[in-house]
Amino acid sequence: MDLYEYQARELLDEQGIPTPRAIFAQNSHEVAEAADALGYPCVVKAQVKIGHRGQAGGVKLARTRDEAVLAAEQILPMTIHGHKVHGVLVAEAKNILHEYYVSISVDRSSRDFDVLATANGGTEVEEIAKEHPEAVKRLHITSLEDFDIEAARRMANAIGFYHADVEQAAQILLKMWRCFKDNDATLVEINPLAKIGDPDDESSKSLCALDAKISLDGNAAFRHDGWRRFEDPVHEDPFERRANEHGLHYVHLHGEVGVIGNGAGLVMSSLDAVSGAGEDQGTGIKPANFLDIGGGASAEVMKESLQIVLSDPQVESVFINVYGGITSCEQVAEGILEAIDVLEGSKPIVVRFDGNAAAEGLRILAESRNPNIHVCTTMEEAAQLAARIAADVKEGQA
Amino acid sequence: MSTFIEDNAPVIVQGMTGHQGMTHTARMLKAGTNIVGGVNPRKAGTAVTFPGARQGADAQIPVYATCADARTATGAKASVVFVPPRFAKDAIVEAIEAGIELIVVITEGIPVADSAYCVELALQHGVRIVGPNCPGLITLPSTPDGHGVNLGIIPDGIVPRGPLGLVSKSGTLTYQLMGELSDIGFTACLGAGGDPIVGTTLQEALKVFEADEDTRAVVMIGEIGGTAEQEAAAWAATHMTKPIVAYIAGFTAPEGKQMGHAGAIVSGGKGTAQDKKEALEAVGIRVGRTPGQAAAFMREILEERHIV
Repeated sequence: MDLYEYQARELLDEQGIPTPRAIFAQNSHEVAEAADALGYPCVVKAQVKIGHRGQAGGVKLARTRDEAVLAAEQILPMTIHGHKVHGVLVAEAKNILHEYYVSISVDRSSRDFDVLATANGGTEVEEIAKEHPEAVKRLHITSLEDFDIEAARRMANAIGFYHADVEQAAQILLKMWRCFKDNDATLVEINPLAKIGDPDDESSKSLCALDAKISLDGNAAFRHDGWRRFEDPVHEDPFERRANEHGLHYVHLHGEVGVIGNGAGLVMSSLDAVSGAGEDQGTGIKPANFLDIGGGASAEVMKESLQIVLSDPQVESVFINVYGGITSCEQVAEGILEAIDVLEGSKPIVVRFDGNAAAEGLRILAESRNPNIHVCTTMEEAAQLAARIAADVKEGQA
Repeated sequence: MSTFIEDNAPVIVQGMTGHQGMTHTARMLKAGTNIVGGVNPRKAGTAVTFPGARQGADAQIPVYATCADARTATGAKASVVFVPPRFAKDAIVEAIEAGIELIVVITEGIPVADSAYCVELALQHGVRIVGPNCPGLITLPSTPDGHGVNLGIIPDGIVPRGPLGLVSKSGTLTYQLMGELSDIGFTACLGAGGDPIVGTTLQEALKVFEADEDTRAVVMIGEIGGTAEQEAAAWAATHMTKPIVAYIAGFTAPEGKQMGHAGAIVSGGKGTAQDKKEALEAVGIRVGRTPGQAAAFMREILEERHIV
């Protein structure tokens, strides 16, 4: 689960990592008040869960109240790379003397935690890594080790912090690690970790986290009161929310063929088969959603799943792909018929069953004599048929 | 020769007395797995009856307070973990410290920090973890009168013994490919798991299959997220003498969306199915466009090499 910058800052603040004073605002009136309170110049920053917002015009400097209001009016209605702006963070503008980059993340390959850092910040770390790979340091913290201030000092030196910054950098590294661990984060990134202050006054200089990105481990929600403090109902997809309430994994993909299956891999594979069929047939038909009914799903779960998928007005056909391991195809078949009953009709449904009770499931479907239910033996055939039907319906409408 | 674990190896089940544990212990017993105990401190000293589960006869499975007790009493070599996420770390650590050699973790939803801790501890102790968030491990008996080991939730009876090995990040795609190649047969099928950090990676499974003389070719099923497929490809390029056929799921997955499995996510443009496919093909591993095509590629290779 990704956090907005203003939420990430809260977690840094809780650990005592220095951040500029800032206020979250959601309309131009609040922005004006925030800017007045913080003083000028200040920065107005779009709150979106996507990178490169600066290049998209989502970050503006304001020297006066009027400029702050203008910035708010420009930024608040924006959609950046498909993400609607959720509000703005108004922050004190700082005089930046130097920029560092530091992140801690789960390293899937080495199966521990990765500290990625560069003393040559200022641009995207990926670009620095490409052009000056030697400038980007990659260090590790392991689960069994005790990462203390001594280890943090060694790390700050290894990263190449300027001598004058090493002590404060070590403190920040240690606090970042606590922030990462205590919050069950999968990523804590400070970019830039800036050296700020008056260039002529050594005593005014210090390190400050000007921007931060934090992702949290959804699996650890049970240790953190379900992450309720970071809930974002406004920006949740209504279909995804409804599916989540039923404990189903659903991802809205905005195509025409609804896809339901058991097991994440099989459902992903089914999506690929539908897209492939759309390409083969030259129709551009795409999957409407990912929906995994999980292992051992009951008729009830299948019924609910089909209702959610069919409530998406973009859906023209549904592809149900079940390989029965623990899941019984018989139960799935009953769920399909129950859903159609409740909905008093349905869009065309293409079914492919294999494995546990596949024959019984297919018999139940055949006996229903429902003209909207089509049966295929392989997932490839089923995907082709579902894509063909969706394309025909669309063409009929056009 | 047996793969991952010897035939008839004694097995305990952690979380046996829960709903999932009961269902699958009965199933594993029916598949011929030598289950010798369960672990639950609150029910220690009791026994659970699984009617008709051992070749038609009732199976009485004793419950022990700890893994250490269970191992002392039974000599268990492997454990299957069905314990809920919030207790899983303690259960796995207990199994590692009790000297269990192979720990198969079925539980979905374990925090990644807990998995990282367990995997590191296991590596330190020379213990193999399979999973978490996986369907388990099934081995087919290496002798006619031996019993294979069914650890987890993989359905029994899909495949006979044969020359193939299989490793997969996905449960149902495992069954799918087992089904497609059921006439050829397998030595072992291992669900590596769909979490970001797992105890046995694709590469580590390849290593076991490469060392196993009865395994002649390997099916590898990957999905979006991370770089386990690329690492497996790089390793295979220089170490693997046996042919591999791969399948990758998730070409249509959008950036930043978790597709069911905690580990199945493309982030920052990394972990795409296309990248994985290219890395595999670059070292000469054929990648099926569908599971069916992957199975067809495997048949071609087996024929070319006169394996079947």
